[in-house]
Amino acid sequence: MPPKIKPPGLLKGLGVTLKTMLKPAVTVQYPHEKEEPAPRARGVIALKEENCTVCMLCGRSCPDWCIYIEGHKEQRPPRREGGRPRSVSVLDRFDIDYALCMYCGICVEVCPFDALFWSPEYEYSEFSIANLLHDKARLGEWMESVPEPEPLEAGAESKKK
Amino acid sequence: MTAPTHASARSEGPGWVPQPGVSEPSVGMNVELDTGDMVLNLGPQHPATHGTLRLVIRLDGERVLTADPVIGYMHRGYEKLTEFRTYPQVTTLINRIDWLSSFANEVPFMDAAERLMGIEAPPRAQWIRTTLTELSRIATFLLFLGEMGLQVGALTPAFYGFRDREHVLNLIEAATGGRFHPNFNRIGGLKDDLPWGWIAETRATMKIVLDACDQFEDLVLGNEIFGARTRGIGIIPSDVGTAYGVSGSNLRASGVDWDLRRDARPYLAYPDLDFKVWTHPDGDSYSRYWVRLQETREAARMVLQCLEGMPAGPIMAKVPRIIKVPEGEVWVETENPLGQMAYYVVSKGATGPFRVKIRSASFSNVSILPWLLQGVFVPDVITILASLYFILGDIDR
Repeated sequence: MPPKIKPPGLLKGLGVTLKTMLKPAVTVQYPHEKEEPAPRARGVIALKEENCTVCMLCGRSCPDWCIYIEGHKEQRPPRREGGRPRSVSVLDRFDIDYALCMYCGICVEVCPFDALFWSPEYEYSEFSIANLLHDKARLGEWMESVPEPEPLEAGAESKKK
Repeated sequence: MTAPTHASARSEGPGWVPQPGVSEPSVGMNVELDTGDMVLNLGPQHPATHGTLRLVIRLDGERVLTADPVIGYMHRGYEKLTEFRTYPQVTTLINRIDWLSSFANEVPFMDAAERLMGIEAPPRAQWIRTTLTELSRIATFLLFLGEMGLQVGALTPAFYGFRDREHVLNLIEAATGGRFHPNFNRIGGLKDDLPWGWIAETRATMKIVLDACDQFEDLVLGNEIFGARTRGIGIIPSDVGTAYGVSGSNLRASGVDWDLRRDARPYLAYPDLDFKVWTHPDGDSYSRYWVRLQETREAARMVLQCLEGMPAGPIMAKVPRIIKVPEGEVWVETENPLGQMAYYVVSKGATGPFRVKIRSASFSNVSILPWLLQGVFVPDVITILASLYFILGDIDR
């Protein structure tokens, strides 16, 4: 068996460089082209205000306490004639400070009334750190970008609610 | 304030004033050159330190006399912070210990909490955990395989390392929602099942990873300059490495056949997987690269095995809504990409742990540096730092 001739490392490296040069680029020119993040990507938290009952579970379970919630009770007329008036919680303030948020998703998970959702949107950087505090109107706007729940892999059990 | 040398005293002063008993300083060729030690501060912001490690190196010429690692620039106090968090919140914190393989950090903590509570995650959750742990191992090592080339002067492999790691990070993101901080484990199982099409995508990616390993072997390991820079540099004998508590690939590169995936108390799906533990007898920087390259391949093969044998079923055991862990203490250790990672969790029956001791691999791996760097040349310091492969978050916690 003839001895295998090994090319020197320099030639080998240049060969790899040449091969890579002929391949298309793997990067994209960001502001002009955009990569689509995965639907599950934890980009920004969206708030569906009408589902929120001001239970404060999200604010309490947040590991760095970056959710600010305020609410008050209101008396509403009874549903039936002669019934007692209902007391309803109304959300006054729901702010998430994205300068503090660790993007863990515990708030989305503990929400018992499906008021919080993850959206893969990521373009909300600001020049001033104070603007990273999103109020409930701004958080509500993210609801448009929340994707539909995707199908699961074979062998998975469907989630029971 | 250092004493002024003769030359500066002369230039600043009025000139040499003869004094009784003091001879005039001789200037010129017949003076013996002063070869005092020089203190070199490497870091805290040196690219070879993967964060902010400071090395105070005392040099005699080109040789290192002593080297003292100064750590703590990234201390975030996670052991203390965990005492004021509930168990689900702790997962978020421990993601950030070793940020390159965050998923592997979560596994031992979840295992500890589950053992204290006496529950076990269902088999499907265990297999998905194994898959993601091995994927994070691949992501960590691919970066190393590229970066090690960069540290010894080859710029190109770093780009290839980052390029190929991106595929793996995309997979982790598609499954967990986070590229670096998955936060996917829950006590008793996982947050969610895999999305549709993930397994097929992972199979395709593992082919890319195996091809990348071949390329790294050809391009970097086969290179004469790389061999000259790393062979025989930073040799850790197996007994010294064991004595300093070095673990993981660094110890296996010294010929110690010890892998917690095989040797420790069985965890995850590792008892069902068929894998080889790679060792190298030399213990130098080259063998550390070689062992990590083989382990990347082995991890890709293990991921393929996991995908093949993935059982169907639920991903979450029955867990109460508010998690309270009963009283007890437990020590859980796992084989993380950087070495032995362990948690000692003490619970007093509350919603959060009473005390958590984190044994991170890099801390012990770096503790050998003062011994290892004695007598080496300055450029080899960088080679040794790169080949030990530590993450500063893992040292300082």
